[in-house]
Amino acid sequence: MSMTANPLTGIVLGHNPFFGVDHLSAARGSERAAYFSDPNRILSTIREARSAGAGGMMMSTHERAAPLADLIATDAALARDFRIYPLLPYAQKYVTRANEVGMVNVVLEALSGTTLSQKTAMFMKGGKAFVSKDINAVLAALMQIELKPFAKLNVPAIFLHDAFTDLALAFGMAEVFEFYLAEIEKSFGARGAFATKNLPTLLQRFSEWGLPAPLVMTHFNKAGYHMNPSRQACEQAAAGHDVSLLVMGSLASGFLKPDEAYAYLSSVANVDGVVVGVSSPAHIQETFGAIRQHMPGLNVRLAA
Amino acid sequence: MNEPVELRAAVVGLGKLGLLHAATLNVLSGSRLVAVADKTKTVLNGLAARAQDVETFTNHRKLLDRAQPDIVAIATPTGHHVPVALDCIERGIPVFVEKPLSLDSAQAKPLLDALEKQPVVNMVGYMTRFLHTFRKAKEVISTGVLGRPQMLRASMYIGQLFGRGKGWRYDKKASGGGVLTTQNSHVIDLLLWYFGDIDWVSAQATRLYSKQIEDHAHVFFQFDDGLRGYLDASWSARHFRTPTVAIHVQGENGTLDVDDDQVRLHAVDATGDFTSGWHSWTKPELYQGTEFDIGGTNYTDQTMQFLGAVRGENGVESDIASAFKVQQVIDAAYASAEQNGAPVSIGDFG
Repeated sequence: MSMTANPLTGIVLGHNPFFGVDHLSAARGSERAAYFSDPNRILSTIREARSAGAGGMMMSTHERAAPLADLIATDAALARDFRIYPLLPYAQKYVTRANEVGMVNVVLEALSGTTLSQKTAMFMKGGKAFVSKDINAVLAALMQIELKPFAKLNVPAIFLHDAFTDLALAFGMAEVFEFYLAEIEKSFGARGAFATKNLPTLLQRFSEWGLPAPLVMTHFNKAGYHMNPSRQACEQAAAGHDVSLLVMGSLASGFLKPDEAYAYLSSVANVDGVVVGVSSPAHIQETFGAIRQHMPGLNVRLAA
Repeated sequence: MNEPVELRAAVVGLGKLGLLHAATLNVLSGSRLVAVADKTKTVLNGLAARAQDVETFTNHRKLLDRAQPDIVAIATPTGHHVPVALDCIERGIPVFVEKPLSLDSAQAKPLLDALEKQPVVNMVGYMTRFLHTFRKAKEVISTGVLGRPQMLRASMYIGQLFGRGKGWRYDKKASGGGVLTTQNSHVIDLLLWYFGDIDWVSAQATRLYSKQIEDHAHVFFQFDDGLRGYLDASWSARHFRTPTVAIHVQGENGTLDVDDDQVRLHAVDATGDFTSGWHSWTKPELYQGTEFDIGGTNYTDQTMQFLGAVRGENGVESDIASAFKVQQVIDAAYASAEQNGAPVSIGDFG
């Protein structure tokens, strides 16, 4: 795959509706989870969205991602052209499991969830990592396991979950970012990308550390929802740095109507992609229509 | 005006929340992480390798005496909170303690005595108070729009345990109890914050998967001011991906519903700024950004309130004294459950 073309791609489907995550209503999330428990329903929604202009899809390494990835791989056109952006690791899984069995056990469990030969190799890598104080080796082993389901798909960029990005940012660990970028490129032939809830700090640190202009997924919306320290500070950071932004949360969890949401987003600098959570054909038409109307430059920038 | 002082912070206990506090205290402009202590070396070594300015210890007393931090955050298993906090208070160091405060109210009593002798800024991590919806609910309730409170129902559910649990949370000697103390201490803290002191409780507790502690609890509360109601608590509730808190209260002039997503108020008669009828506030519209968000703005806002209190700029809402009351309610609930729900007075505990 080409490393020069912009890896972010206009309209990107969000995975949350498919996996029952709804940040405005847990009840609505459960309903959608029931509807989409049949992966074929997800696949047909993906086909519909693709024919309406979606270029790719976010995919957390949720336990249901693997069967879905297998299903997408059976469609040759989707497997070739439809871009999949894994988000790793699936944080909620770790947080819930950590409550139950403790953090160390979570890592050991993750390392043991593979075939015997892989398990031995990865356990050696991970076990040695503990002794040698090397977080990076643990991260590498986790990456191998979590990214396995996506091997047959078109994966231009792989996002690190904001919980991990922001933790590493807070500790000022430049090496974690350097390692992640290098490892993703070396082992997966893709671009390392970062989700964050703290865009201004991330961009400032990348610039201080001399790291290349990053691919960043972050919240941008007129309501300022999940934007830290403020909407204005995020707008200034986006305009003041070399960055390629994949915007999530543009509707502020359904608080904003598509029309006002994308009218606002068209004023934000360096936006190369918009993550959209779709659940029905009517929803696809309304949302995609508003994006095309207000952000006609989105795909132009991508084609360049 | 001078630049605000950068407080030198230490964290004792490096589990999930200890890491969160360590990161938050390191990144905020008002403080910087200088030392951490944990009994196991797994995370400690990882941090030592990548954060060169942070000293690591396996003993918290050595940390206090050698690193001499300005402030300490304690995020050990519950049973260690009190002894570590006592060591901080004795040395005059402002202390932040994760919730629940202690195994029970008797264990926490020496903290109250120590603070009387040596007052220091202290805070307990009841972070639900800093979630925007629950904060808004407090603001609405405080206006008195509901009139005299009449009845209450509250719940906190999460689907995390459907088999035997491993780790300190499921060991009664380390945790003090099950879902009631480990998670629903948050709800009890909110109820005390919203509605004042509780007179007596009646409770039932059920072991579904755990051998030593309850996985499910029902607690009936009688508040001092006449309000009555109950709490339903489970960490073995299907279909709850994340901890989900909901509180409904009815007063003589209206009802209020608050959960993680929104606040809804119905006022019978117009009161103050509220017109008669429905009012609602959703999470996105209540949202306020914070200096740096790691595990949620509520954690950052909580830490900033603590730092502000240490600098003498503001007070602390959830302190050791208020968290002690939470422990008394939990003690009474466990005592009641052992007597098949017989009413137990809060006054019996400390």
